[in-house]
Amino acid sequence: MILRAEAVHKRFDDRPVLSGVSITLEPGHVVLLSGANGSGKTTLARIISTLLPPDEGQVTMDDVPVSERRTQVRRAIGFASHAPLLYLALTPVENLEFFARLSGVRDGRRRARALLERFGLGYAADRPIAHFSRGMLQRVVLCRSLLNDPEVLIFDEPYAGLDDAGVAAVNDVLTEGKARGRATLLIAHDKERGEGVITRTVRLANGRAQEAA
Amino acid sequence: MTTEIPVWWSRGARWLWIAAIALVLCSFWLVVRAPVEAIMGPVQKIVYVHVPSAIVTLLAFGVTFAAGIAYLSTKQWIWDAIGAASCEVGLVFATVVMITGPLWARSAWNTWWTWEPRLTTFLILWILYAGYQVIRSSLKSGSKRTISAIMGIVFFANLPVVWKSVEWWRGSLHPKNVTMSPDMRQVLLVGMAAWFVFYLATFERRLRLEWIREARSREGHATADSAFLEARVR
Amino acid sequence: MIFLVVMRKDLKLFVRDAKFLATLGLFSASLVLILSVAFGPIFAQPAREAAATVWAALFFAGVLGLTRSLELEGESGAGDALRLSGADPFSLYIGKTLANFALLAAVFLLLLPLTAVFFDVGTLRALPGVLGVAALALIGYSAWGTLFAALARGLQARELLLSVLLFPSLVPLWIGAVKLTHAYWGGAPVDEVKDWVKVMAVMDVLGLALAAWLYEAVQEAAE
Repeated sequence: MILRAEAVHKRFDDRPVLSGVSITLEPGHVVLLSGANGSGKTTLARIISTLLPPDEGQVTMDDVPVSERRTQVRRAIGFASHAPLLYLALTPVENLEFFARLSGVRDGRRRARALLERFGLGYAADRPIAHFSRGMLQRVVLCRSLLNDPEVLIFDEPYAGLDDAGVAAVNDVLTEGKARGRATLLIAHDKERGEGVITRTVRLANGRAQEAA
Repeated sequence: MTTEIPVWWSRGARWLWIAAIALVLCSFWLVVRAPVEAIMGPVQKIVYVHVPSAIVTLLAFGVTFAAGIAYLSTKQWIWDAIGAASCEVGLVFATVVMITGPLWARSAWNTWWTWEPRLTTFLILWILYAGYQVIRSSLKSGSKRTISAIMGIVFFANLPVVWKSVEWWRGSLHPKNVTMSPDMRQVLLVGMAAWFVFYLATFERRLRLEWIREARSREGHATADSAFLEARVR
Repeated sequence: MIFLVVMRKDLKLFVRDAKFLATLGLFSASLVLILSVAFGPIFAQPAREAAATVWAALFFAGVLGLTRSLELEGESGAGDALRLSGADPFSLYIGKTLANFALLAAVFLLLLPLTAVFFDVGTLRALPGVLGVAALALIGYSAWGTLFAALARGLQARELLLSVLLFPSLVPLWIGAVKLTHAYWGGAPVDEVKDWVKVMAVMDVLGLALAAWLYEAVQEAAE
């Protein structure tokens, strides 16, 4: 599945953030999106994941505009960002089961527990996440993004707050995704951590994207 | 898109303003000359401003309603601009209604305010559309348009129910089919035409501001400075 | 059934937030208190004053409940996850509306005995009628309120703005609720005001219909 942003423009009030950005996410590739703070990385990630409509330009999945089949596209995307996108008063299992039900994933509870085990969180599966450390929270976030076995991964700063084991777990997910033909967009300002999994690097500057060596 | 509006627009606007001013002056002149009503005296002449303003208010909010639907189905910025411009102008006319109504009521019913259906409905409308302005101005660019469109639709769709229920709540005192002498009716008709054209003219002015804002924003300028905007509008 | 899943989740979040529930309960009780003090100590028309009090308190307290339920989505971006799940927006709306209905019904059940005692109104025989009125009023209130709260989400002073939109819009519902409750509490013959049931039903249906049409657009209205 190929997800493509074509000549995307976005401005917030009168401030242009993206002025004609094109980027393609292909199966088996991990694209690192780099750029200074405020260069529009997160905005681009939100546009590609259908959370934000572009002012001009379009996002397509297999050459069909995403606005024409939004549900299908959304269910093919795994999205993780710095904001956890979770209910802090619920436990990891409750959170994951809830989102699994909503996105039509079968057997949500078992899948939730399996994912939590994989990220070494089995012991905390039934505690409210409000008191989790940043690293633990980030692991739940990763679990949520993988619930629907997505074909496209969009990870915005997944390494934030993770220890070495956590970083290894993220890279594990990315490597496995590459092997299974997932298309991945990775935003990280410390790209050393993604060393070895990144296949391409795109740099955002002044509202435009540049392929970097 | 530039900050310069199309030629047909600026030409049309000039004629619109000439017509609006002429008609309003004409209407005032007629109001002054109109026969003094036997019982109420000169106060009755408020009607020639009050009734047209009320009709124009409903028309303006109706435009906002229609523009809201158009915006949601097309996502074209111009519909949002039309809706917002019409709503703001409509609120001004609603304010005129809210001021002239009690002035008239004071002399007709010997009270500034009664819980009369149309009065109450207009009060409700006034609060809602004033709220529209507050919310619109505190929203960021993207959601601003959608949320404004939805408010414009919801408030207007609710209007008939509010109207009917308030009427039911407190039987109507408000004059409906008032018997007017033919010359009084004529004055009222001219008044309606005058205020309608005046609405179009002010609406055009307000819409032009939205046009300039959009054009400036697309050019990627930092926050459009008000001095520039004022200069352009003049 | 997506809407049941959403309702259960929202109710769970309400129940786990004991501080919020306690504040909401105390706030609504103190509204009843000040209103009954304002009308009292000797009540001229207890049925009328009590009906006004219970509904005023509920409308005010309800605004807090409605904004709370949207804050739960906003505080850690869970609303984005809801959208990404691809679930049908109207089902999400119905789930939230049902949860809000349950919360408001709980507040009503707290206020009802308080008002009955303070104003010395109401009989057990009138109870089914009053509960019916409450059901009609709260369906409309939560239907409109959930839609409007979604409009005002993320705004500063959203409780205030929500009241500004909600109270004027719900005037028909408000008149109906007060008139009918007043009648059931013996202030007037019920037959004379029973047509207000129709007005309230129209408001309920209109609110749900507008949401069915517009909620997706509200949900997708991103920055």
